[in-house]
Amino acid sequence: KKQLIEQPRSGLTPQYFQTAQGFQSGLDAAYAGNRDIWGNEGLMTMTTPGTDEFKSGGGGNSDMNIYSSSFDANNTFVPRVWNACYTYINDCNGVIDNGALVTGLDPAIVKQKIAEAKFLRANYYFLLVRFWGPVTLNTHFIAEPITSAERAPIADVYNFIIQDLKDAIDGLPPSPVKNGVLPGKATAAAASHLLAKVYLTRAYSSAKQSDDFLNAYNTAKGLIDNIGTLGLGLLPDFASVYAEGNEGSKEILWSVQHTSNLTYNNNSNELNFYYVMGYENFPGLVRSMAYGRPYARVQLTRWMSDTCFADKTNDTRYYKTFQSVWLSNSADKIPKVNGVPKYALGDTAIYMPGVDVSDTKINATRYLLVPPRNYTLQLFPTMLKYQDTRRAGINDPSVRPVIVYRLAETYLLAAEAAVNLGDNANAAKYINAVRERAANPTGNVAAMTITPDKVSLDYVLDERSRELAGEQTRWLDLVRTNKLIERVKKHNPDAGANIQEKHLLRPIPQTQIDRVISGPKYPQNTGY
Amino acid sequence: TGLAQKVSINVKNVSIVQVLEQIQSQTSYNFLYNSKDLINTKPVSLSVKDMSLTEALDRCFKNQPVNYYIENTTVLIESKRVEAVAERELRKVIKGKITDEKGEALPGVSVKIKGSATGTVSANDGSFTISVDNTDAILVFTFIGFEPLERKVGSASIMSIVLKPVTTGLSEVIVVGYGTQKKVDVTGSIASVSEEAIKSVPASNLISALQSQAPGLDIQKAGGNSHPGATPSIAIRGKRSLDAGASSDVLYVVDGIPYNSTYINDLNQDDVTSVQILKDASATAIYGSRGANGVILITTRRGKTGAPVITYSGYGGASTALGHYDVMDVKAYETYKKWGNYNANNPNTIGAPNRYSGIDDPKFYTDGITFLPAELAGMENGTATDWQKLIFKNGLKTNHQLSVSGGTPTTKYAVSAGYYNEGGLFPGLSFKRYSFKVSVDQELGKYVKVGVSSLNTISKIYGEDINPVVQALISSPLTVPYDDKGNLIPFPGGGSLTYNPLANLVPGAVVQRRSRYNTFTTLYAEAQILPHLKYRFNGGLELTPETFGEFYGSATFKNLSGPSTGKNKNYDYYDYTLENLLTYENTFSKKHHVTATGLFSFQEDYKANTEFSYNNILADDIQYFNPALGANLSGKGDYKKFDIVSFMGRINYDYMSKYLLTLTMRSDGSSTLAPGNKYHLFPSVALGWNIAQEDFMKNISFLSNLKLRAGYGSVGNAAVSPYQTLGGLELLNYNYGTTNVTGTYPNNVPNPQLGWEYTSTLNLGLDFGLLNDRITGSVDVYKQNTSDLILPQNLPITTGYTKQFLANVGKTQNKGLELSISSTNIVAASRKDFGWTTNFNITFNRNKIVALQNGVTEDVGNNRFVGKPINSLYNYVRLGIWQNTAADSALARDLKLTMTGAASVIGTIKVADLNGDGVINSNDRTIVGSRDPKFLGGFTNRFSYYGFDLNVVSTYRVGGTQIAYWLQPGSKVNALNGKENNLNINYWTPDNHENTYPKPNFNVQSPAYGDLLGYYNASYLKIKTINLGYSLPPAIVNKIGVKSLHVYSSFNDAIILFSKLHDRFPGIDPESAGTLGVDTPPTKSLLFGLNVTF
Repeated sequence: KKQLIEQPRSGLTPQYFQTAQGFQSGLDAAYAGNRDIWGNEGLMTMTTPGTDEFKSGGGGNSDMNIYSSSFDANNTFVPRVWNACYTYINDCNGVIDNGALVTGLDPAIVKQKIAEAKFLRANYYFLLVRFWGPVTLNTHFIAEPITSAERAPIADVYNFIIQDLKDAIDGLPPSPVKNGVLPGKATAAAASHLLAKVYLTRAYSSAKQSDDFLNAYNTAKGLIDNIGTLGLGLLPDFASVYAEGNEGSKEILWSVQHTSNLTYNNNSNELNFYYVMGYENFPGLVRSMAYGRPYARVQLTRWMSDTCFADKTNDTRYYKTFQSVWLSNSADKIPKVNGVPKYALGDTAIYMPGVDVSDTKINATRYLLVPPRNYTLQLFPTMLKYQDTRRAGINDPSVRPVIVYRLAETYLLAAEAAVNLGDNANAAKYINAVRERAANPTGNVAAMTITPDKVSLDYVLDERSRELAGEQTRWLDLVRTNKLIERVKKHNPDAGANIQEKHLLRPIPQTQIDRVISGPKYPQNTGY
Repeated sequence: TGLAQKVSINVKNVSIVQVLEQIQSQTSYNFLYNSKDLINTKPVSLSVKDMSLTEALDRCFKNQPVNYYIENTTVLIESKRVEAVAERELRKVIKGKITDEKGEALPGVSVKIKGSATGTVSANDGSFTISVDNTDAILVFTFIGFEPLERKVGSASIMSIVLKPVTTGLSEVIVVGYGTQKKVDVTGSIASVSEEAIKSVPASNLISALQSQAPGLDIQKAGGNSHPGATPSIAIRGKRSLDAGASSDVLYVVDGIPYNSTYINDLNQDDVTSVQILKDASATAIYGSRGANGVILITTRRGKTGAPVITYSGYGGASTALGHYDVMDVKAYETYKKWGNYNANNPNTIGAPNRYSGIDDPKFYTDGITFLPAELAGMENGTATDWQKLIFKNGLKTNHQLSVSGGTPTTKYAVSAGYYNEGGLFPGLSFKRYSFKVSVDQELGKYVKVGVSSLNTISKIYGEDINPVVQALISSPLTVPYDDKGNLIPFPGGGSLTYNPLANLVPGAVVQRRSRYNTFTTLYAEAQILPHLKYRFNGGLELTPETFGEFYGSATFKNLSGPSTGKNKNYDYYDYTLENLLTYENTFSKKHHVTATGLFSFQEDYKANTEFSYNNILADDIQYFNPALGANLSGKGDYKKFDIVSFMGRINYDYMSKYLLTLTMRSDGSSTLAPGNKYHLFPSVALGWNIAQEDFMKNISFLSNLKLRAGYGSVGNAAVSPYQTLGGLELLNYNYGTTNVTGTYPNNVPNPQLGWEYTSTLNLGLDFGLLNDRITGSVDVYKQNTSDLILPQNLPITTGYTKQFLANVGKTQNKGLELSISSTNIVAASRKDFGWTTNFNITFNRNKIVALQNGVTEDVGNNRFVGKPINSLYNYVRLGIWQNTAADSALARDLKLTMTGAASVIGTIKVADLNGDGVINSNDRTIVGSRDPKFLGGFTNRFSYYGFDLNVVSTYRVGGTQIAYWLQPGSKVNALNGKENNLNINYWTPDNHENTYPKPNFNVQSPAYGDLLGYYNASYLKIKTINLGYSLPPAIVNKIGVKSLHVYSSFNDAIILFSKLHDRFPGIDPESAGTLGVDTPPTKSLLFGLNVTF
């Protein structure tokens, strides 16, 4: 009989969460779960293309980007975010529920860790409610097989998120750059930023509360007003925000961590692939560490290039966001005229000025000169924010942390809330804070400063594009402000023809629907 | 019949020897005598016509000093004087010769005097000499594979003994669980495969050799894997348990001890003498839960009393790819790429707004998208690379086996050594097996017997993952593998995702070595405690330490020129079984025969392994031998142990072998189930009736055997991985800056209710023998109901558990019919005659899910549907391709499908709006087929003539839909995106209204509903082996000093008929358990072999 009692040795059981180590490791996994979202093609595809900013590149599947009829519940990207959110929500619930049972830890530490778990849980739910609307709300740890599921009204989900964030702010260390807070850890600053965004999002939704815009404004303002004591602030040069190795700067509120120690970097950050154009198929160039692995999943729209960034002179952000020059890195591939190479190794191979040039000039140029009208699925400016030259191999994913929330966005959240409160003066003030920095070092600050009369919701959205281009938030921003359909129809011709009302929500993954086999059928979002 | 032979003789005053010679030439009789006995005979005069043999002999021997006796077809002649001598002397020397029915000498036959320990063994020429005390003595002749014979000495001093081989006849003894039984007394459903049948197929492993040799046995290449050393998939009587649930592994029992199915390839089939397949509950009940999916009993060679017999068998030959995949050539590829890009811009109709004016637009060659620079260069140079030709080579196959066996009446031994080497179709790929087997059986006095058998194998599998097929198929034919200097170009396309398929084949680029040292040792001790009571101890230990090392250099398509990677894996596995058996056997009133067996058994299985991986190894030469020379070292380990405690009792009763009864009870306790559910009792009962033994059947002469069997029983299955009931956490590493942490999150939900899975089987069987067993066979019908199925279940993702867990839910049913027939179509009386035998078997199995959890009838998430087969395929219904016609456009518009731009549905796969609700969505899926065949089986024909023999082994499968992964876009081989090379299929274009394959589209990674392209009709008939051999005549063989010599050649796996898939893609073998992967391509082989016995 004794032989039939099982004693696992290479695996852990859920009881482990009640120990001090288990409680801690559960929280670590709840952080790590974010790697399945930020840095994954799922979230990138759900937030970047199919907007006014970005459209399909030559790589990958364009179905989702252009809202074609084959984008449905069986899409492979949509479940990645859904699955990760629910997996780690249950993990967070395990940490939070076991907080009362855990032994051998200082109660203050337990309290802080529960606050961290609540921040993470709120963040996961915030993704869910924005992409899918009413979603299943699990408030406690699930440790038994349950085959039914229901969707809770978005009001309940928002209330739950807001309560979590309030609790989190209460229990978290104030600043990411003070008191030895480790990189990537949740802080009250990050939670405040997130709370402002939650209020702001709810304010436009069917679950809106009358004071949502005000709360959003006050929360964002509260954070901005305290940046001095928190040691936070906008960096002087926009270029350094996304500089390699600078992911822990004073502008960063929260990031998802990665490391060059591959053992601890198991779930990859592939953002360094998706925005890279197919330069290696053109003369003078081969694949290189500096120019990246060309997945070419997405490319900027003409609106982004021509209209949004109409001023590329005073606003330094265009050339800091998009690559315009590729220098020849392969002598073998340099085209020859009468046996003489047209240019030398290290000379310009491709130049994309971002503005139009005449065909005569193009033909007269020895290298490839590409104005926006000649962009193709393979030939377009690479978005630079996620480039990584320190990855292990030329085809390897990135080892850079993914910046999720940064202070510049807090300013823009405050501005957006202010606009909706009719307070254009303050809106302009927060927008200008961002724009003035954007002029540095070569632009004219005065030319960048705007007056309150110019401020509108659309202007805030345009400014967000300039500041946050490609930062995996655009689709959500457009849905939040009820501008998705309007702006996609206007600025993204590929997608504009197909986008419909139903596209304001993502389809519930078919696997979720199929696996609910008891109780009421799990409802799909309308139209899918 | 023999005595009815007539002779005609007309002689005057000739010697008796001459007369005998005449008789011999006219009849099939031989004469055996000592010449000196005939010295005193008188001349004979005889004139007879058509006289019976006996009468003629009577006349011939009248008044002669000798007598004659007829034994079978031999006439023995001895001096009359001998009788007198025999009466004077107490001891008498008997000489004789033992042959088989064809007259060939039988060496090594045990000759014993009944009731005494005295005995001898026949010599190489079959002769023997033994002295007996008196004329009442009885000699007992026994020889494995032949029916024992008893002969009273009487007055004879010379004996001619003819032993009959054991046929499918009633006296055949077969191995059943924990003992043997006369075939006539067996009540369960058991199929046997003979050594001859196994040997006729030169396969790399025993399981492949068993394919199609017995009904109810479904053996297929797993996923179509033809890799050297790959283990085929096996199922007995269909699937009861579901994938990833309780294991549906068949239980292998080698020499009475369970053998780990993972290592079945380690078993050298040359050591196997017989295989029994236990199918119904009555037959498997004795193995309880372990036998839930059927049991295969394997008996290996043991020594026999007699002079040492030395045997060598070996073969060698080459295997080649069955054929090449049909991919696009340069011209087709060029057009295909242009369409891919054309369609990405606007595909609907010619003339619609498009970046390109048409398929002939020169812009395709300058746009930087359609063709890679390297391809443009290739066009100029006239490059047309056949990548498949570059990767495939011929594989070599060799097998050698040398064995010695023999023994004395008290000690028997068998020793053998084997070597098998199979090279793959790519360099670096091989499977080698070195085996050494020794077994000794020793009698200790009258009552105690002990024996030990040890099977030792070293298996080496090299390059198990080397598979450049996908790379080769999608590589651009316009690019070249080597640059001007002869260096391999990593990305022949100049930076595309397709890495050079030859990169992994460069010596040292990929090193994968798996070495396993398998020791399987069994021992027994048997003691006759009382005249009818026997105790037996069985012990078995299987030790399988294994190491695996892997190195991928930088320039491989795993690492794509990134850092090299290395991996080490070490396995520490053991499994042991201890059994105590008591057997009581007795016959009451000469009619009631009872055997009772009691057993206590304990089994423990332990598996632990550790694994290390790392990258950036300092020098490629280091390979995987020192992880410290790499970076980013990470490791993991796994530990699993389970125990089974069993008690069993069985009673076999028969009344004059006419009415049979078997009762079995087994109680199993399994550690893997939840507390409270660990133990269960499994009963079974079976009845048999030998109708042919009834008096009223005695007159029906064409029926030589007729037996009815009925069995009912329940068995359980608890073969799940340990610790399933406890739930589990997954590890997930993370870092906070430079602080690295290991996180854990729940991914395996606990199930404290997990219990046994039960299968109850009702089996009805009929065994028959016709025309004196020239035609024998069995029919079995069965119904298996499986309940409390241990099913892997998906939970709604909202629970947070995306990993399946195991639960007892649902019921399945298998119903089936099995038929096997063996027929001697033409009897070959001697070597010179033409002979022909046929074995045929067919299996029908119908499987369905009867119930699912909570009364659910459709569990789409787990692909389970009540009333439908487990292997159902649930998907959309493919109608064809959306054509650019008015009707299709109107329909597509009605269904609100995208009609413009790159995502236009025109030219893509059209599926049915099955429920007619005006929208195509997941509700339009239905069951579109099942992977199960309608029926399957095999047949074998053996022909013999003048020492030549021809065996043709065939296997067939009819019905069922299978999936070829390489036809699905996900495989990349049929991606239809116009980026990389593709299968050479006829795709849709605006002016080619092809209705199967959609338009290539550069902007669509994988065409919608593309998985429907992979379905194929899985019927086929395969001639597995054609084996032509020749046995040298005994006369010649004797001269060169060997006992027998057989040479043969065999042609394997080459002929596949009635498969549409194979007809379209001749390099493809449709045989696959589960989805047919793009794996090591199937091979055919031509082998030459030799068997010699000394």
